[in-house]
Amino acid sequence: MKNDWEPKIVAFLCHWCSYAGADLAGISRIQYPPNIRVIRVPCSGAVNPLYILKALREGADGVLVSGCHPGDCHYLSGNYFARRKFFVLHQLLQWLGIEENRVQFSWVSASEGQKFSQVVEETVEKVKKLGPAQKLVKEFTFHV
Amino acid sequence: MFEKEIRRKAKELLEAKTVDLVIGYTSGSLPFQARPILVSSPEDVGKLVWNHFARSNLARYLLPYRDSSKKIALLAKGCDARAVAVLLQEEQFPRERIHIIGLPCPGVISRRKLEEKLGEIKEEDFSWEENSFLFQGEKWEVRPFLEDTCARCRYPNPPLYDELIGEEKEPWRDGSVDYLKELDNQSREERWQFFAAELSRCIRCYACRNACPLCYCKECFAESDSPRWVNGVPTLSDNLFFHLGRSMHLAGRCVECGACERACPEEIKIGLLPLKVEEIVRENFSFEAGLSLEEEAPLLTYKESDPGEFIK
Repeated sequence: MKNDWEPKIVAFLCHWCSYAGADLAGISRIQYPPNIRVIRVPCSGAVNPLYILKALREGADGVLVSGCHPGDCHYLSGNYFARRKFFVLHQLLQWLGIEENRVQFSWVSASEGQKFSQVVEETVEKVKKLGPAQKLVKEFTFHV
Repeated sequence: MFEKEIRRKAKELLEAKTVDLVIGYTSGSLPFQARPILVSSPEDVGKLVWNHFARSNLARYLLPYRDSSKKIALLAKGCDARAVAVLLQEEQFPRERIHIIGLPCPGVISRRKLEEKLGEIKEEDFSWEENSFLFQGEKWEVRPFLEDTCARCRYPNPPLYDELIGEEKEPWRDGSVDYLKELDNQSREERWQFFAAELSRCIRCYACRNACPLCYCKECFAESDSPRWVNGVPTLSDNLFFHLGRSMHLAGRCVECGACERACPEEIKIGLLPLKVEEIVRENFSFEAGLSLEEEAPLLTYKESDPGEFIK
């Protein structure tokens, strides 16, 4: 591992809360590490577990999924369904031997710019401790 | 072992035109193997057999008839009936077109285990009972020869049936899942090494998926071109992706029949991942697939009190 290694983290942010939270952090000029690559999704419930696996397969060092707090989902219950799904995935990945902090989850509301920056800081820090991802990364690329 | 009763019942149903088709088992082309058979005429019921080698899950053979108007009788062990229950619940088949003949399962015997313990074996050396067998005049218990999935089976009796042939059985084991326990006791790194070694042998032939009664998507994510989730080349990362994806798709649906494991030409313990998912679902959402038609599938519902400590 080179000393100047910086993790790449794919962040799936829900349109209604976490994405707006990230926006607020930006508007308020709150600083947070530039390691995340944001993908906006309609709802945390719309995040297919395969997206997370795919991100890791394509070489992401970490994945962050963030949505509205329980009870605040724009679609009323999307994040509750997401919670069950992610719980199963999280447990399964850990059991398989994937590091616990490779895939992280959070609830960030549209008014929590500060929390968003904290969440990103924590996420990046934890992934940095783990070092570059190796376990689910694809072995080679086809050039078609 | 109730073979006569099964044939009589099948004949009766076909003659009365109650059903158009009976799905059951017949002798395979290799010894110690029974294969699925579709019987549509009463003259052919003699081909039906019922023994310790009924390896496949017959619910798998229902779905091609989903859009026909045929009425189908299905011989169902515990796990087959559970798979049918999940299919019914997912509205993949109408209840009124299926007649379930429940068969309390004596357990499926592994040919490999027979060979390991008895050396060279020939079919004519055996005479079979329900819980034991005679091999060259010597009596053996069936239990140590059972397939792994059957040795840990908790539901040998079909939870759903129209009629039952035979007597309800005690489960071989009461819910302990040994392989999982063994792995649970290992460290995370050891488990990773185990799965990396196992799954790097996978040639991604998809036999596991094809044998699974509940993997019925017309287009599987593993073979989808757009989006392309995995490449066709069986590399470890893509094998893991496929098996993890499959396990997630089976979350709260897997009936633990072990058809995937038995179908694997590389004899990889691929059943362990869906089984672990099943355990997670059972312990946290107290749900087991295929036991009731009313209870909602665990990932299609939620509770406000669901575990959420892992979310920041």
